[in-house]
Amino acid sequence: MADTTTLTTHVPTLEVSDIQATVLRPRPSPYLGQYVILRIDDAAQGREMLRRMIPHVAPADEWWVPSLAGWLGIAFTFEGLKALELPQASLDSFPIEFKQGMAARAAILHDVGGNAPANWEYPFGTTDAHIALAIYAQNEQDLQRVLELARRTHHDLAQISVVYRMPFGELPEGRNPFGFKDGLHNPQIEGSAPAAHGGSDAPIKAGEFVMGYPDQLGETAQAPIPAELRQNGTFVALRKFHMDVAAFRRYLREQASSSEEEELLAAKMVGRWRSGAPLVLAPDRDDPALGADAKGNNDFSYADDRKGLKCPFSAHVRRVNPRDALKDDIVDVDSHRFIRRGTNYGPPLPEGVLEDDGAERGGVFLLIGAHQRQQFEFVQSQWVADGNFISHGTEQDPLIGNNEGDGVFTIPKVPVRRRLHGLPRFVAVRGGEYCFMPGLRALRWLAGLGEDAEQTASH
Amino acid sequence: MATKVIENERTAMAQHMTRQPDGPGKRIGKKGEISGIGKVAPGGAKLFRERLPQIQAEAAYWETRVGTVHDFRVTLIDDDTRILFTIVFDGDFKPYVADILNEAAPWLDQIFLGVWDGFKGTNDRKSVEELLSFAFECDLFFVRNPDVTVRDVAKMQRLSGAVAELFDAAT
Repeated sequence: MADTTTLTTHVPTLEVSDIQATVLRPRPSPYLGQYVILRIDDAAQGREMLRRMIPHVAPADEWWVPSLAGWLGIAFTFEGLKALELPQASLDSFPIEFKQGMAARAAILHDVGGNAPANWEYPFGTTDAHIALAIYAQNEQDLQRVLELARRTHHDLAQISVVYRMPFGELPEGRNPFGFKDGLHNPQIEGSAPAAHGGSDAPIKAGEFVMGYPDQLGETAQAPIPAELRQNGTFVALRKFHMDVAAFRRYLREQASSSEEEELLAAKMVGRWRSGAPLVLAPDRDDPALGADAKGNNDFSYADDRKGLKCPFSAHVRRVNPRDALKDDIVDVDSHRFIRRGTNYGPPLPEGVLEDDGAERGGVFLLIGAHQRQQFEFVQSQWVADGNFISHGTEQDPLIGNNEGDGVFTIPKVPVRRRLHGLPRFVAVRGGEYCFMPGLRALRWLAGLGEDAEQTASH
Repeated sequence: MATKVIENERTAMAQHMTRQPDGPGKRIGKKGEISGIGKVAPGGAKLFRERLPQIQAEAAYWETRVGTVHDFRVTLIDDDTRILFTIVFDGDFKPYVADILNEAAPWLDQIFLGVWDGFKGTNDRKSVEELLSFAFECDLFFVRNPDVTVRDVAKMQRLSGAVAELFDAAT
């Protein structure tokens, strides 16, 4: 068995000029962009494309500098690394979940029933998804410029094909399709200034999110090999969700007797009001000023809400980031954090509409971390798709859980708790992939693979 | 070669058996099992017995914090040459290994360090992986109330206590 870690204690400075911007920096607001997935049928052409692409890949230190039209991030699936003919020893050294791919992990992730990989969009879960590009810009003109740069990296390479293309863009007021303010919280990464978000939580060791630095245990990743490949790299769990906004609105209408109660129920499910104001700080009614306060809306803990009377234990934000809510348990919450880069797609469902209009709408999330089994996979399998950790049996996340019309949602209340029944699936998985997002030097190393091999062969 | 089950009134209560999604271990409902056998290190049996009273006394503390273990047994077998552990627990096993190692390391080291031959301690993750690679699933498994977790039992106990109190107050 490979030794995967070594112990270190010093606190290094992050090489922000070598880490991709997508890892450390929040997307701009407003934003629009496109996800593109490529297939490589010839390794030499794949490497040639990579050589041309590298100058356009945004590093974290050039974050929305005026000279950049937009920002391009690049990541590889295991199939993609195979297609680039990464040496076998290197392929073998990757973590198991990455090698298997997200579709093969469906039983662990509870991607079953309607969320099963058999129902995913092409090319998710197939061997055709090799390279994922995430391209962000502030306006359509800039986006077209970056897309054209990306297109030129492979337009004359017949063995490179675009197998998927998905535009995305910000909805009015930076809300998600359900109408909630979006992208409010991410962990603070030690040494990665500027702070992306407000809040009082302690910074988490960079090694949890980027390889080459000590993690929470003081360990530095020793795999995948070689070091040139892993340094400043990380892993991305890419998830595409469809959001059934009409079903969400109908459910609230059925369960509530007034529009105020609908809003309260919605907030109880999410753990925040639509403005972003957290229930713990605003338990009875929305506080838009607090919601708009980037620091204030994250400056809270569950210390004063041990019974879940303000924010239910089962609320989405309390599940996926329990903060201090599990401090009496054995779980080390900080080792289960990931960076979340969310984008929305599709038109908003007009206000007040309760019937689905058939439009595709939802979100694509890049969940970034160096230890996906402990991060995305743990959160998804233990905190989203189960309720035992909060003594709620098999109750799932009310918003993103894999409920099939039989979901329950418990709202602690005095004297008697309220329990909602018959929750449908509001959020369906449309696809997912595990990707490796290398640092910039590692991208050059990958692009030079063929040359190295030839050099080695000729000596 | 396995023989076919002959359906009768007793097999009507057969439980639906699954496996852990990510490794060895049988599972019925929410409850899973795993066991492991290792060699006892030279002098390990004596060490284990010296530490045993303290390990036993602290067992409830550590396992209550873990919160998902129904029962856990460790025993020296084959004239103290081998060590066996068995666990019945709720839910998935692997996702929690790292947390348990982080939080219950002192107790686990008291049980296994110097006793399980080759084990270098919970802070040596490679050594932990090696120990876990000896884990295996049982052949026969039965659990009563397969969908009731340790946390559910605690909750039901609280509830039943509260209901009894209510009835007492009403009479």
